[in-house]
Amino acid sequence: MKKLSLLLIISALILSGCWDQRQFKNVKLALSIGLDEGSNGQMTETVSIPTVRGGGEGPLEETVQILSSDAHTVLDARDKIDRMISHSFNPSKMEVLLLGEDLAKKDIYPVLDNFYRNPNSNLNAKLVIVEGTARKALEFRGAGEMRISEYLNGMLEGAEAASRTTGENLQMICAELVEEGEDFTLPLIKFDEEEVALEFSGLALMSGEKYTGEKISAEQAPLLMLLKGIKGRFVQLTRKVDDNEEEILDYITVEVMKFNDDMKINPSKDEIKVDISLDLDVRVTEYPHDHLVSEKVIEDLNKKLSEVLTAEAEQIISKLQEANSDVFSIGRHIHAYHPDVWKQMDWKTMYPEVQFNTEVNAEIQQHGIVN
Amino acid sequence: MSSQKNLKLTNRQYFFLIIQTQIGVGILALPFDLHTAAKQDGWISLVLSGVLIIILMVFYWLLAKKYPDKDYFLLQQYVLSKWVGKAVTLFYIVYFAGVGVLILLLYGRMISIWVLPNTPFWILSMMMVAVCMYIVCCDLVVMARLYTMFSAFLIFLVGLILYSVKDSRLFYLLPVASDGWGGILAGIDKGIISFLGFIVALVIYAKVEGEPKQKLKTIIFAQITVLLFYLSIVLVTFTFFSTKEIALVSEPVLYMLKSYQFPIVARIDLFFISIWMVFVATSFSTYLYLAGLGITRVFNKKHSPVIVLIVGLSFYFLSLFIGFNLVKLDQFSSYIVKGGYIFSMGIPLLVLFISLFRNRPKKESAT
Amino acid sequence: MGFFKDFFHKDQRADRRISDESQEPKQPSTRNLSNNIDYILNALKRTEDLKVRILKKGDAALLYIEPLVDQDKVQMNIFNPIEIGRVDSIHDIPSAKETTNLEEAVNSLLRGHAVYLEDENRRVSQFSVTSVFNRSVEEPANEKVVRGSHDGFVENIMVNINLVRKRIEHRDLKVKFFKVGKKTNTNVAILYMEGLADPEVVLKMEERLEAIDSDKVQSPGYVEEFVEDSAFSPFPQMLNTERPDRVVANLMEGRVALFSEGSPTSLIAPATFFMFYQAPDDYNTRWYTGTFVRLIRLASFLIAVGLPALYIAIVSFHFEVIPDDLITPVKSSINEIAYPPVVEALVMVIIIELIREAGIRLPSPVGQTIGIVGGLVIGDAVVRAGLISNIMVIVIALTAISSFVVPSNELSTTLRLLTFPLICLSATLGFVGLIFGFLFIAVHLTKLESFGVPYFAPVAPLRLKDLKDTFVRFPIFMMKNRPKDAHPMDYKAIGESREWKKNEQSKKS
Repeated sequence: MKKLSLLLIISALILSGCWDQRQFKNVKLALSIGLDEGSNGQMTETVSIPTVRGGGEGPLEETVQILSSDAHTVLDARDKIDRMISHSFNPSKMEVLLLGEDLAKKDIYPVLDNFYRNPNSNLNAKLVIVEGTARKALEFRGAGEMRISEYLNGMLEGAEAASRTTGENLQMICAELVEEGEDFTLPLIKFDEEEVALEFSGLALMSGEKYTGEKISAEQAPLLMLLKGIKGRFVQLTRKVDDNEEEILDYITVEVMKFNDDMKINPSKDEIKVDISLDLDVRVTEYPHDHLVSEKVIEDLNKKLSEVLTAEAEQIISKLQEANSDVFSIGRHIHAYHPDVWKQMDWKTMYPEVQFNTEVNAEIQQHGIVN
Repeated sequence: MSSQKNLKLTNRQYFFLIIQTQIGVGILALPFDLHTAAKQDGWISLVLSGVLIIILMVFYWLLAKKYPDKDYFLLQQYVLSKWVGKAVTLFYIVYFAGVGVLILLLYGRMISIWVLPNTPFWILSMMMVAVCMYIVCCDLVVMARLYTMFSAFLIFLVGLILYSVKDSRLFYLLPVASDGWGGILAGIDKGIISFLGFIVALVIYAKVEGEPKQKLKTIIFAQITVLLFYLSIVLVTFTFFSTKEIALVSEPVLYMLKSYQFPIVARIDLFFISIWMVFVATSFSTYLYLAGLGITRVFNKKHSPVIVLIVGLSFYFLSLFIGFNLVKLDQFSSYIVKGGYIFSMGIPLLVLFISLFRNRPKKESAT
Repeated sequence: MGFFKDFFHKDQRADRRISDESQEPKQPSTRNLSNNIDYILNALKRTEDLKVRILKKGDAALLYIEPLVDQDKVQMNIFNPIEIGRVDSIHDIPSAKETTNLEEAVNSLLRGHAVYLEDENRRVSQFSVTSVFNRSVEEPANEKVVRGSHDGFVENIMVNINLVRKRIEHRDLKVKFFKVGKKTNTNVAILYMEGLADPEVVLKMEERLEAIDSDKVQSPGYVEEFVEDSAFSPFPQMLNTERPDRVVANLMEGRVALFSEGSPTSLIAPATFFMFYQAPDDYNTRWYTGTFVRLIRLASFLIAVGLPALYIAIVSFHFEVIPDDLITPVKSSINEIAYPPVVEALVMVIIIELIREAGIRLPSPVGQTIGIVGGLVIGDAVVRAGLISNIMVIVIALTAISSFVVPSNELSTTLRLLTFPLICLSATLGFVGLIFGFLFIAVHLTKLESFGVPYFAPVAPLRLKDLKDTFVRFPIFMMKNRPKDAHPMDYKAIGESREWKKNEQSKKS
């Protein structure tokens, strides 16, 4: 019997062949894909396909092909691009997906659908919105950096480490995309004409499935992340705490060592109050003014810093409300803990009316190795 | 070898045999099924159905304990008289064949969706049947040993699932029972389906060594283990996906793992589904074995590779009739699920009821 | 149990079969010297190396097969006593063994004895004057250890048993001899610890040895194929070793060792899969080291069997699993290779096997050259020529190295053979095929039995206690019981051996 089954298998394997073989060497990998709004309601897909030659022996030779095409849907565009290249192109190792500003202002879920549906797609990819068009960003070739995907990925990883973004990938966004009472932010990238470089320019605020056009600047992004309770490897805040003649003396740079955020939601029928408090234990990393020895100076600084940050937090929140972007998932919390209240209201109209009470407390714990 | 044949199972082997049979093809879609019925409260339905199953297990035990040296098919022949018993056994064989075929179909479908979209069904099915025939053509003891060994993979699966806890948000489970208990009760049905396979505890009860009490303990521990495993899957996926999103993905476990990347490998779902295949193979082999055992009891034959071969091949050809056809598959699975209630709950309880009016077997009748 | 079984079989089998000649044909000697000599000469087909020395002016003769005897021994054992005058006749020498059966005399001649006959006398005296040529008991080349004993078995069965007996000075060590091979009359011995080895296993071994019906039995490899359970399994079911310490360790676990004349290899049964991964070195190093090395060895099993298949599955089916940072190096390496990865792998595996097979029988300087030419030159050139990607070279080299890590040569060849079906499976079905392949192997290992003992113990059937000496090596004093897989009659192996520690502590306080 063993022999029989073995015989069966062997004959089957010999007779059949390999249906699903996709030779890696015959695949053109698209490591970064950009989607833009095209003319006549169509969309433009831009891909950057690197081709590497001479593995192992001698220096790697890399050529990058950038192709774009207009089409009705994402896969339609991919089909058109396929006709322009040798072999077939494969997005399953896509690292970054860039969305042009205009496209993102429309509903983004339909665009992402094929990435969610296809079992081969890489859901670990990062989604980014580009100010301007994605094509322009993809066409950028920086000095030194080999590939645009590597460049963008490195930039996003850096932003995540510095707590400027949530670091969420395509998959994790999906939850917030479809769930009611939850919104999210996406990293925003800009092409800097003067420096000739791509730049992380802030967080794009999403409302529902659309980009609102509002953004939180890169400077304020870490504070928003802290308010959300997310901290990357480090958080660095530089704030103005004084008014001297020399500008450099006015600023203090601190690194957050420990933080504690707390959000309390008090919903009632016609009014929702949210208390957000954030306690920061910070370490001074730059303060040219010196004299951090007396307790009074430190206490003053604590106070000043807290004031500045509280004001900023309020500013951020008012911006969120303006954009109607509930990045704190307050709606979902109300749904979870106060289902009765949730049923009675229309969250989208309610959210801008929510009363926030924000408080940030900063406390200096260390000041480096000099006073 | 004389020393190896006709060995009875130890309690540990019994335990693993039960859980390996129960944990199988269903784990990938379980959270989705529960969610469609009961929304975010699916886990409550699961716990409730687990409790129900444990109660049912006590009844099983009461039945099996009365005739400690007869396996379930012989027991039927004794309780229901010889020919009625044999007829019922025949129905059981058909049922087991149905479940076996269903497992094959679901497995083929899953592999086709997730891993090998172009590979035809007949080859996937054939590989599975071949491996499982090879597993079953020996002794139950060997199967039990194998299952015990394969259970090490359970740790691996649990590890992968627990890895995703870092991205879970507990408030997705709330609010509890917001839509009333109707959904939760409907979810119990789905929960019980995921436990199907517990019938094996009854059928091979007589082949296990040990005191009845100890066996009961083993059975219940097995059910608790399965319940905890399912619960961990369900809780993790429910908190990973938002309530709306889970309605979109029919295999949440794989979908969840798909987005992770470790430094040495990406796409954990491919590894998960590969290991999941081992569990499919074990549950399928059990049904193969059960059907084979049924045949030996009906025709008074001895367990032999020929019977396994016949049963295996008939499973294989039956599965080819449906293949990847989704409509037929759904229809077929709904029949099997209904059959599950009859064969795993109805008939055993009926037999138990009838056996109350029967005397205990006389000593000389025990063979 | 064992005692009774033995008791019943005693009448059929005597312990020393060499001296048991009751069943042999009988030919009573006559009183006529020339008739006797004639009979012996004819029995030995008038072979010309049979030396007939006429003594006492034709009244007596001394016969021996010249190449088999030691002339010094003839002088010392037979002629010296007469010359000194201690005895009057050669028949009276006390070391002589008397018989009147000429058939027996023929057999003893073949064993290297000298036979003395006298006219007018039916007595036949036999003297053991065998010359023995022995290799020294040096360390076997294929089972070297860093620390531990450095002696090994030789081609002489008696020396081998001597080596074992020296290590186990206990009355329970029992030797049974068998004559196997109808023409070669090879001496085969089984050794076991009475009261420790499972009598059923011993009985099985005896039955199977007696069932051998063959003209010749050359070596244990021959015997192995006759007696093992599943001759069609790729896995060896008896452990081969040339190390006395390994044999002793296994005897003390209740296993049976089989020796055969003319071969330094001893076979140990029942064997389990994990025995092949235990090296004597493990027990001579610190147990942390032993554990670490053993884990590496077991990992080598997976690498040797599965790595090429895994690589092929990834490269031709599931390249998604390659992490982002590795994707470009891998891609650039295989981008311009002409052949599909399966062909690459098969070519590479075959090249390695060729190099190995070419090098193995050549004298070592030439062997090294082959290694260098094969490994370095071909490996490098093949990559430069673009026939095989350098990643494939790494994969196959790693596989080859891993397969040599196993301390047993038999298993090592098995592993390399198992690579092929897995490669084929993963080249047709990717991960799915690979998993099926591994499933087949796992099921096969679980089903396999060696002398009625599950081969994959203690993993299947699972025995948690025995895992102490399987994946890890616990300190020796913690392995209090013998492994259960050999069914020893007495489980306790080690008692409280570190009581002194408690005593010292109590003294201190």
